[in-house]
Amino acid sequence: MVSFDVVAEAGEARRGQLQINDRTLETPHLFPVINFYGGGNEGALFGGGVHRTIKEFLAHDNEVTGGEDYSDLFNGVMTSISSLADYGIREKKLEWYLDNEIREWECFSDYDGMIFADSGGYKILKQGGLEGEDFEKDIDQDKALDIQLDLGPDIVVNLDHPIHPDDEFEERIEKMEQTAVNAARFAERRDEVDGACYLTVHGYYEAMLERSFDLIEDELAEPVPEAFDGIALGSLVPRKDNVEVLVEAVSDCKREMQQRGYEDLPLHVLGISGNAMPLLVAVGADTFDSASYLHQAINGKYCVNLFETVPIDDANFDACECRVCNDDFHRARMRNEMDDLYQKDILGSVAAHNLAVQQRELRKFRQLIAEGDKERVAEYLEEAVKDQKGFRKFAYQLINERINPYFEETDTTYA
Amino acid sequence: MHKTPQVNEVNEFIEIASDFEDPLEVIREALSNSYDAGATQVDISIEQDAEGRNTLIIKDDGHGMDEDDLSSFFDLGNSNKDDAIGYKGHGTKIYYKSDKIRVETVTDGTRIESVMDQPWAKLNNRELPTYSIEETESDEPSRTRIEVHGFRAGQGFDPRQLTYNKIEHYIKWKTIGGSTAWHFGDDFHEMDINVELSPTIDDTQDQIETDNRLQFPPENRHPEGEFVAEEMCKHYPPRELTVTLDDGRELTIEVVGMVGGKEARNKLPTYGKHSAQFGIWLAKDHIKVERYNDAIGADNEFFHFFFIANCQDLELSANREKIRNKSGDVYQAITDELNRYMTKVCQDSWYRNYIERRKLENKQRSIQSQGSSLEERLQHTKDQGGLSPSNPAEVIAALERYSANGSPETLEIADFRLDEEVNAIVDTDEGYKNAALQAKLSDFFENETPLTHIDRFICWKLGDRDALTKIERTSYLGKPIRFDFSNNEVTYGDENKKTIPVLELADKV
Repeated sequence: MVSFDVVAEAGEARRGQLQINDRTLETPHLFPVINFYGGGNEGALFGGGVHRTIKEFLAHDNEVTGGEDYSDLFNGVMTSISSLADYGIREKKLEWYLDNEIREWECFSDYDGMIFADSGGYKILKQGGLEGEDFEKDIDQDKALDIQLDLGPDIVVNLDHPIHPDDEFEERIEKMEQTAVNAARFAERRDEVDGACYLTVHGYYEAMLERSFDLIEDELAEPVPEAFDGIALGSLVPRKDNVEVLVEAVSDCKREMQQRGYEDLPLHVLGISGNAMPLLVAVGADTFDSASYLHQAINGKYCVNLFETVPIDDANFDACECRVCNDDFHRARMRNEMDDLYQKDILGSVAAHNLAVQQRELRKFRQLIAEGDKERVAEYLEEAVKDQKGFRKFAYQLINERINPYFEETDTTYA
Repeated sequence: MHKTPQVNEVNEFIEIASDFEDPLEVIREALSNSYDAGATQVDISIEQDAEGRNTLIIKDDGHGMDEDDLSSFFDLGNSNKDDAIGYKGHGTKIYYKSDKIRVETVTDGTRIESVMDQPWAKLNNRELPTYSIEETESDEPSRTRIEVHGFRAGQGFDPRQLTYNKIEHYIKWKTIGGSTAWHFGDDFHEMDINVELSPTIDDTQDQIETDNRLQFPPENRHPEGEFVAEEMCKHYPPRELTVTLDDGRELTIEVVGMVGGKEARNKLPTYGKHSAQFGIWLAKDHIKVERYNDAIGADNEFFHFFFIANCQDLELSANREKIRNKSGDVYQAITDELNRYMTKVCQDSWYRNYIERRKLENKQRSIQSQGSSLEERLQHTKDQGGLSPSNPAEVIAALERYSANGSPETLEIADFRLDEEVNAIVDTDEGYKNAALQAKLSDFFENETPLTHIDRFICWKLGDRDALTKIERTSYLGKPIRFDFSNNEVTYGDENKKTIPVLELADKV
């Protein structure tokens, strides 16, 4: 049973409830990327360095969490089948990992958030498949879905062929056609999925997205909303730092969905989070996923807000409202003031903080949308970008054109 | 024991009076004083006698001066104004750069006449000038008349440079005469301003009659027509921006402005370069001080904008020409807030439409000039009787024509790179050959291009054969060269001679 209900709107931003079987997710939501299988064994939560620490947060390991419950950071998580081979494992281990669904392992049995299983198209197609220490597996749509289903996910997505800004036109068409063929095959097997099926589309602007949708519709035996429960917009990672492109892509995708009558489906933006998130929510994105919280931590960066990071040694914990920073246990960890700390423990707390910062912003946003006042949304956005010189103009442009114009046509000096 | 630091008064007077570099500042100070005195009318006249001596006369109907006011008029740093423009007591010291100052003022039934003789000469003789005071009763309404005789002109008052236009621009850009206070309903009062120059200075018009309000040209948001962007104009209404500093202090910035094309901006008394006059002005007392064009950002050109941002928390240098507290948090907060505000203006749909329209009109203009240049080219082509190559690409066209019309040999372009010295590879009966394609063969040798890798020359014409003969008689890159035009070849080198065939297309196509 899958449903998506929009419970409040403010301009184009919407607050929704994604219901999949007995799990509910409040949107807008960020799915943090988790590597459930990092080459290790069950006792070590299957390993994975900082990934392991994050899993210890998710599995309420008191030694790592300091006794606090941080499950609100992980109401829904993203994991990709391509990450299974990140640690050069042997085939036997891979098979062992896939013998049980994630929640069937004792260590994850308490985890009650949603699991979004990505097909890992970008990485798998780049490497030509899944490659471990003693195996190479070609991955097609069927194999990808088999592995995804082995994880026991709540949401799955078709195997896509992401496009790239440098693609020649013909190359792009070819990728889109392959994605469309995969989507059709994926739709044929939707009955095997006990959860939501998302469809990937690709494009940076309307004409491209129109083509992407058209090609998929041509391949499908039934209308998109009957075959799929959500739309996932992909290929934006290479453009993640160009907020103008991101806003155009998401808002054009929304428009395309509206024109085709899919506006009731949730829109997920693959691989994007951080500073663009508020703007993308403002133009109608519902969910996001990203590993940036982790990568920032691994690079020793502590998020001050959605826009700024400082080296962890320069972090001012007193200025942060998040629970991680207000816990002496984590402060001591992040400052490396405890005995026998591994790097993964120090950086794990930083990653949890970074994630908390992003989740906090979305929580604020959910509250604002619930009030249904688009002027408040505009105020919030304006305040958020107040000191971001380069970024500001995009936010102001969006507010001006789509939420609340700064200078009305009727506004005149000599009125 | 405690000692009090001493002030050398003469030096201070000279210093402050000299601090005013632009003699036009005398007008700014006069208008500020009249405004502070509540005047509704101020008349300034500037005369010049046969010897070129200037006399300034400033009359206003303000509340006049009593003896205390007169003291602070002549004293240094002893203003009795606390919240008015001239609170520092420096401004009137510009009058000291003269031969004589005479003040006549009426207030509360008393008329005071006061004269100071030779202030500048005395100061330069290291003595403090004195002034006389003569009081009589009077039933006239209050007023003030200041005469400054033999005002030390400097460049700005040179009769060849001082014009009505210059003064009107100065009044609107640099004095209370260009105030934007009236938009904000601060305690603003209107003041009519007349300026008259003696005919020896400028006889092009009668006098300037204006008031103390800066008025933008009329709005023209959506003009009709083909080339109208220059006339477009939009007012951005007065806004009060507030910023809170870390210490809790609150600053108010009163900003008002316009965006417009050149035609619209020219309706303002600019009389000169727009680049020095437009942009974002920071103001205090609603008098513009300095521009802060960084607020517009690198994506936009500042001259489209004319905005005035007034903030009473700006601190100015003695001569009001510069902002003094630029390194402090106040200035930082003001500029930060202005950056934000101007970003909003730059994202306004009308502004973006205006910029778009300018771009389109420029394209339209270039299409028009393209049209006329095409007409010229067509005429030239007709005069030439068709293709007459003047560049390598046209030589290719001629070569293709030559090949298509039964040339005795196969000669087809296989690769062409415009910027390379050996710019072509040609497919011939003997396989691929490196070729140099030139409109004129002589151009190739003028460029002193080495011949090492060249198998063929292909040109439209041989060009300046005298120039080639000259090269032949000296040498080319240190080696002998021979141009044999009867056999269409170039021979180059001493021992290992190299022969390069030349194809001249002009007489073959």
